[in-house]
Amino acid sequence: MPTVVLLDVSLSMSRGVDAVSPCQEEEDTESQILRKDLAVHGCNILLDHFIQHCKLEFASLIVFSSVYKVLMPFTRDFEAIKGALNLVDECDKTCIEVGLMGAAQHILEEWGNGTPCQVVLVTDGNAGTGQHHLQKSMMSSHSRGASQFPLPFPFPAKLNIVCIANPNEPCLQTSKPLYQRLIELNGEGDILVPEGNLTKQSVSEMFEHLIKNNFSSYSGVLHCGSLSAPVTLSPPPQPYCRHHDFEIMRVSVDPTITVLGFLNTGDVSSPPAFSRHLVLPLSAKGDMVMLPKADAGSDDEGTGNDEGKIPSFCVLLHGGLKRENMVALSQVGENWYGILYSWADNKKKSNLMLSLFVPGVDVIPWMGKLSNLGPASQLPVNPYGPSDTSSPFPLKVHEKKSYALNSVVWVRQGGLQSDIQKILRHARKLPDKTQSFYKELNRVRKAALAYGFSELLEGLANVLERECTLLPPTSHPDAAIQLQHAYEALRSHDRKDSRQNITPLKTTFSGND
Amino acid sequence: MSFPTSHKTVFVLDHTLTASSGVKLEMDSFSKCRSGSTSGNGGSSGPPTPSQPQVSLIPLLPITTSLWTCAVEAITEYCRIVWDIFPGTRLIRFIAVDKTIHKLSSWNGEDQNLPNLMNSFMALGPSKNIGVGKLDLMKGLRAAIEALTEPSAVQHEKRTSLTESATKVLNKGRIILVTKINTEDEIRVYKEKFHEALLHLNKVAAATDNLMAINHCDLVLLNLWPNGLSCTIPRHTWPDVSTIMSCEFTNMQGGVSLAPTLCNLVLKHYDLASTTVTGIPMKEEQNASSSANYDVELFHPCAAHTAILRGIPSETAHLKTYREGADYETVTLKWCTPRSNASIELQHCSSAYRITSVDVNSRPSSCLTNFLLNGRWVMLEMPRKSGSKVISHMLACHGGDIYIHTMYTSRSILEDPPSISEGCGGRVTDYRIPDFGELLKANRLAPYPEPAPGSEGPSTPLEGSREHLSRHTKYWPITLSSTSLFTLGSNIEPLTSIMVKETITEDEVVECKQVILSLMSMEARGDPLPSPIAGQRGKGMKREDQYKAVWTELEQYLQMHLHCPAHEKVLECFMECHNKVATPEYKGDDKVDIDQALKELDDYNYMTEREKAEFNMAGSGTKHIPSDLIVPDSKRRHSAPPPLAPMGRSSGVSLLTLWENKVSSVQSQPCYEFQGRSRAEGNITKLYVNLQKDKEKEDGSRKK
Repeated sequence: MPTVVLLDVSLSMSRGVDAVSPCQEEEDTESQILRKDLAVHGCNILLDHFIQHCKLEFASLIVFSSVYKVLMPFTRDFEAIKGALNLVDECDKTCIEVGLMGAAQHILEEWGNGTPCQVVLVTDGNAGTGQHHLQKSMMSSHSRGASQFPLPFPFPAKLNIVCIANPNEPCLQTSKPLYQRLIELNGEGDILVPEGNLTKQSVSEMFEHLIKNNFSSYSGVLHCGSLSAPVTLSPPPQPYCRHHDFEIMRVSVDPTITVLGFLNTGDVSSPPAFSRHLVLPLSAKGDMVMLPKADAGSDDEGTGNDEGKIPSFCVLLHGGLKRENMVALSQVGENWYGILYSWADNKKKSNLMLSLFVPGVDVIPWMGKLSNLGPASQLPVNPYGPSDTSSPFPLKVHEKKSYALNSVVWVRQGGLQSDIQKILRHARKLPDKTQSFYKELNRVRKAALAYGFSELLEGLANVLERECTLLPPTSHPDAAIQLQHAYEALRSHDRKDSRQNITPLKTTFSGND
Repeated sequence: MSFPTSHKTVFVLDHTLTASSGVKLEMDSFSKCRSGSTSGNGGSSGPPTPSQPQVSLIPLLPITTSLWTCAVEAITEYCRIVWDIFPGTRLIRFIAVDKTIHKLSSWNGEDQNLPNLMNSFMALGPSKNIGVGKLDLMKGLRAAIEALTEPSAVQHEKRTSLTESATKVLNKGRIILVTKINTEDEIRVYKEKFHEALLHLNKVAAATDNLMAINHCDLVLLNLWPNGLSCTIPRHTWPDVSTIMSCEFTNMQGGVSLAPTLCNLVLKHYDLASTTVTGIPMKEEQNASSSANYDVELFHPCAAHTAILRGIPSETAHLKTYREGADYETVTLKWCTPRSNASIELQHCSSAYRITSVDVNSRPSSCLTNFLLNGRWVMLEMPRKSGSKVISHMLACHGGDIYIHTMYTSRSILEDPPSISEGCGGRVTDYRIPDFGELLKANRLAPYPEPAPGSEGPSTPLEGSREHLSRHTKYWPITLSSTSLFTLGSNIEPLTSIMVKETITEDEVVECKQVILSLMSMEARGDPLPSPIAGQRGKGMKREDQYKAVWTELEQYLQMHLHCPAHEKVLECFMECHNKVATPEYKGDDKVDIDQALKELDDYNYMTEREKAEFNMAGSGTKHIPSDLIVPDSKRRHSAPPPLAPMGRSSGVSLLTLWENKVSSVQSQPCYEFQGRSRAEGNITKLYVNLQKDKEKEDGSRKK
């Protein structure tokens, strides 16, 4: 998940660690450490974690005081962010609202509103002079005013507020309820405070805690029958918790991903995915290996290459899926499924991708219930046919939709008019169009009866009667006979069973129907 | 659990609306174009008629529609939209009131479609004039409330599901009364009486087992007015009449404004949104060589727009425009000329929702829907404020339903991913990918017939597929260098495709035996094995050793595939051929054996190149048969067979005896000392030393 490090650079961050006497100028080395140094120290721990374990994540650095500034836009170059951290200036007052606004804006511009993100707000536990204003705008956001308070974020996001403060500081105590309110507004997140006094050690521990709860990577095993491989997913899959019409779905991804069978890529027809993840094979030691690119220098031939030369099932699966243009239907959790497939960002590099569906078995209408899919080869007749030419997908719907039914709609202007004109067009081509004529006639007649529109039947009969009188002398005798039969039948609608369609009159002329 | 109000809707229709809606249709205008000049609407396609004398015709009377006809037209259109987009999940019922109450349908699925609705209206017939003061719509409203207390199929299922949430199923619904209302007083009376009835009937429902009390009901009063007159009562809503009821009053006027009002209503009730596809090129009917661009408006659930509309409002404001005469906005997206191969590729979509076209029978609409129904996919392009464009949606038909798919429009966090070849196992080049392709095809999924209700077994077809797959992968070396058996290609077919089956026939047993026997005869003839160059294992091995490796692996393979008694026959055949005794007890240890095999594979994986080479050269059998005891197969067959000692738990012969017997039988044969062994240090001889050197040289030169 993309991560924003939102760093408070207000003047109060330049306090020493000792809260009691902020302006001490003693020789005591411990108090020489400023809060902002500890903040940078903590951020570096987080970034080192990314370098080590989450190479494919994105992070950005935004600093804020009464204004915000994007110091590093989203990047995978975490060293660059560490570099930028060292160049942070001191500014004026803490204004959390501005910072959150900046984070929201930056994430929206970069990732849109569908990508889950993390916001790590690093501050000194002092909501600052803007406290009253913050409180006020939070209230107004609650009352659905026009104000643009950034919480809850317009995208799924966790907000963690990390306080570089002594746990017993008075201003932390007053700020904490405010932080709590922010997290409640956002829905997801936590407040982190060092345990014990503010030292380098306690700050490190606090950040380790943050990493453990929010940034741990996924590690699991991909199974396919007896074959298996340890894998990681990038980005780590998030638990699913949403309200459906009649149930609440709460599931998370298991550490085992099980391939259940295979489907043609064309047959799954671009199903909607809840999230997508790269599937990366892990080495036997559980590390993610990224070999140097083939054309890179040969210095790295040592350890990296050995990992590359140990066969991995992932590579085989990827190769097979790519070769056959198929996907692997897999189960990732209770009642939760997805597909594995070969995916290429550009033409050269392809990799194994996992698309997770929305949890449930009835989530892709054109595939039917997923639990009802079984091995095709064990059906009495293999629906794929002997030479792979046919397919059981997509499942046909039982009831055609209105756009496939030629349904009658007269509520809009011109609807009725064009239906009547169609009848007349066919009427003028009688007897060639006898079948179409009666089909259209019955369609209109049926609708008129359903709509309680008997005047229309009479009107239509009049129109057809006139048509009959206007027939040119050269016309086929059958034309007049059929027209007369039609308008008489229309007029007698209330006498006969109205559900019966009008059928063409059998005449001695109508041989070639 | 959102329990949407729109799950259940009841229409209560005033069946006495005989009054004219004020909408007139000039029948004369339809038949005017007969003589001479062609009409604009396809009249040109008629046969050329000889000019005829102008007859002065008696003008046809215009026809007028009744308010009832307007109401039914509007309601069927409302239902058309709902059922197109939410088949099976949003239910609608109808109650018509004149002197009596006519219940036209139920919550059952088979009632929820247009043809059925048309039939019930046909059976009901046109509106009736029953005289002033005889109509009691409250009776209809009460019947509607009763209908709402009846659970739908899904509500019933959830309520009786015996899960924790069963008691929490909420019953919400909407009742729409269609009538003509003249005064605000009437509205007030309806509202109050309805609320009373709701409270009363809830009590009745709560006292029964099969009915559900209503947790919330939305009453919509639709006031149908004739065209031309202006309605005196303004639109009004009461969101909180009480905790269980909300109310809305809306005017609906016959004529041109009927359709837009209706769209407003259906969009609001079902949380739908409108998309206009613009710039659809269509051939002109008159002039097939030129084409003009058309627009088609579609409805779909609102959520299809969230990806582009939620976010920075100013960025997307330019997409939205108001429809003429309607209260709702439509998002305009541009048609992109479809690529023909879009449907066989996997497009990345975050959601897919059913759509329906708004003006379903218009020529542009039916052109677009037919294009889609024929299997073409259409991309829709969203212009950005900055002027750039991005594909934001896709229209596609799956099995007869048309869907709008939402595409990812923002930057992907998966950009610039590492290639699979840059990760673990990425540098291995001898994966059995073609073989795995065959495995994929053999394990393809297909929909199974729906199990009869109630007879659902504990295992679903999908679980059956997992079994199937595990049978197919029981013994499956993933690289060529780790197998001798599977490098044989057609020589072991159809054995490997038969053995993975759950049960096999006698004929198939024979086929498998033939494979074994033909391999035996190949060995006897001394045919070279089609060992591929890539296989490290076969490289440089003596032919006898190659065969030995194959036999060892085949035995292992057969031992693992003992799915039915017929499978055992194949193993027995193999054992007889090799003067071994089949040990079906093996079956029980089969899991251990896999573990063992995997462990060996792992051990092998951890070896350095050098160790691997040695391991391979020493022959694959080393782990199972002490090297001292190796007797080339060819030799063994020519000489007397070793004494057959029954193996396994039942034999009662100690391992030591077996061992001694074996050793003595080997020693009894004249055996020449292997040349290399006599020169060996520590009983290990490096084989093909030159070859290794050559290889190193070659590798070295390649690196340069």
